[in-house]
Amino acid sequence: MGYGMVIDQQLCVGCAACTIACKIENNTPVGFNWCDKITRTSGKFPAVRYEYISTMCNHCDNAPCVAACPTQAMYKDRQTGLTLHDTNKCIGCKACIVSCPYGVISFNWERPHQHWAQRDRLAEGCFSPREMLEESGGEGSPHGNPERGTTYPVVRPAGSVEKCTFCDHRLVKGLAPACVDACPSGARQFGDIDDPNSEVSKLVARHGGKGLREELGTRPRVIYIRDYKPQRRFEPARPAGENQGA
Amino acid sequence: MNFNVSRKDFLTPTWFLIAAGLVAGGAMGLYEMFLGHVFATNSALVWTLPLVTYIFLALMSTGVSLILAYGLIMKDEAITRHTRALLIMAIGMLLGGFTALATELGSLLNMVWILLSPNPSSPIWWMGTLYSIELVLLAVKLVLDLKGRHGVFDLPLAWGTLLIAAAAAITIGAVFGTVIGRPDYQGAFLSVITLVSALVSGAAAIVLLRPQSTLTDTAGRIFRQTALLFAGLLLVRVAYEAHSTVVGMLGWASIWMLVPFILALVLLQYAPRIFAFIGILGVLWVQYSFIITGQLVSLGQTAHWYGAVQSYQPNIPEALILVLGIAVAAALIKLGGQFLMDERPPAT
Repeated sequence: MGYGMVIDQQLCVGCAACTIACKIENNTPVGFNWCDKITRTSGKFPAVRYEYISTMCNHCDNAPCVAACPTQAMYKDRQTGLTLHDTNKCIGCKACIVSCPYGVISFNWERPHQHWAQRDRLAEGCFSPREMLEESGGEGSPHGNPERGTTYPVVRPAGSVEKCTFCDHRLVKGLAPACVDACPSGARQFGDIDDPNSEVSKLVARHGGKGLREELGTRPRVIYIRDYKPQRRFEPARPAGENQGA
Repeated sequence: MNFNVSRKDFLTPTWFLIAAGLVAGGAMGLYEMFLGHVFATNSALVWTLPLVTYIFLALMSTGVSLILAYGLIMKDEAITRHTRALLIMAIGMLLGGFTALATELGSLLNMVWILLSPNPSSPIWWMGTLYSIELVLLAVKLVLDLKGRHGVFDLPLAWGTLLIAAAAAITIGAVFGTVIGRPDYQGAFLSVITLVSALVSGAAAIVLLRPQSTLTDTAGRIFRQTALLFAGLLLVRVAYEAHSTVVGMLGWASIWMLVPFILALVLLQYAPRIFAFIGILGVLWVQYSFIITGQLVSLGQTAHWYGAVQSYQPNIPEALILVLGIAVAAALIKLGGQFLMDERPPAT
């Protein structure tokens, strides 16, 4: 058993709904995107090519961040294959950030969401950020998702790194990661990539596909299939009748 | 031990400078740890001048330890006569480095936790463990020396310090060398650079801080030999980077980096302390260059936020952490000189 994600580049429309869903679900601070993007523009007019590659932690089987972490704060969960992080063990050395070849780990230099503690009101009669926080009862920010706190702190402490967990708090409830559910084109598929009969494994078997920077030997669990080609716009990812959901 | 230290011994220009460094750097370190983030860092460029300070001081301490261990093993009296002073120097520099590291990590307790939740696959864990053992060994040697207990333990302790110090210096290089996604870091070369730079800076520090004729001759000889080796290694790196076609490699070595070491090689005998100081600055330049350059190419999504290649200039708070690390080392060396040395240095 090991979770993995398949991203169909032919279906991805670059809307960034995944990024927004991730931010809302995981209460990430300003400037941190666990789910983000790489954009590339290449070629020469009129043969210009633009690529939008949605990125997140690749939950590598051979994770450099796990090998580099001196305190086992970054670890592999043997049951799920996820690369997870324990903020209680994190000493803030940032070795994981330097070691990660994908640039998907962020460091809390300061207490996150601290602007929500401000008492100044923008105008008379308005709520101050602090009052909004108290009114909503949220943790850290009015948007803090308490369900996030079941497996990872809703507000990660200052001096600690943070990263995508494939929404492990949703997985234990049988739900897919927030980015997968938010994708309007069904470009993201999630499941047990170690099971050859799973949807994600079938997609990889059918279309091939590869992870980012595979040449480094990290064995990422996020696989990209089908580079976007306009001429196959109407070609389905799966044979007719196959389940489109995760 | 010397208990005849008066207030007058602290009213010197050197102590005023040290106190100013401790206050300014200490205030900045405490601010960074408890109040707000002031370093010029981001999520793609995380190891900056404060970490360079730690590595610079830790490696210099390692160099002093290695030279002392060499002297004890080879029974070189020019070195062994200064055992206590060299032990104080090594301990002071290592603790100065740990102080800079604490501001970088955000807490002193984080440096203890590293030992309690070990990950043997991590070079940082090995680095922390080896330097902790090194500090204990140095402290044991100092206590034995203060109590005048010399005998069967001297040689095993010297060998232990030699092996641990060499392993620690090599492991610092491995912290960078084992990073697979950054071409300016990856490879065994940085372990060689950190070991040799430890010897160069350690020997230069002895020449600079213990201007005694026989010791200066011996440490100066080691300094010249290791500086020549270091210059050769840098030349190899410059040639490699000039011909490299590795994607994402910026190159951290410059032909100008050879200048301080060639100058020191040729002119050390005329003004040992000046050229030892220039040699130390040269080592700091090299260490700064490889540590920073290795992180300048933004990886993955961070390129979207910070640009494909970042630029970095240390800011004043980071420069003050360098001052803090040096001031802590200087204060401990000076205190050791005043309280623990039988022959007290003149008040300066």
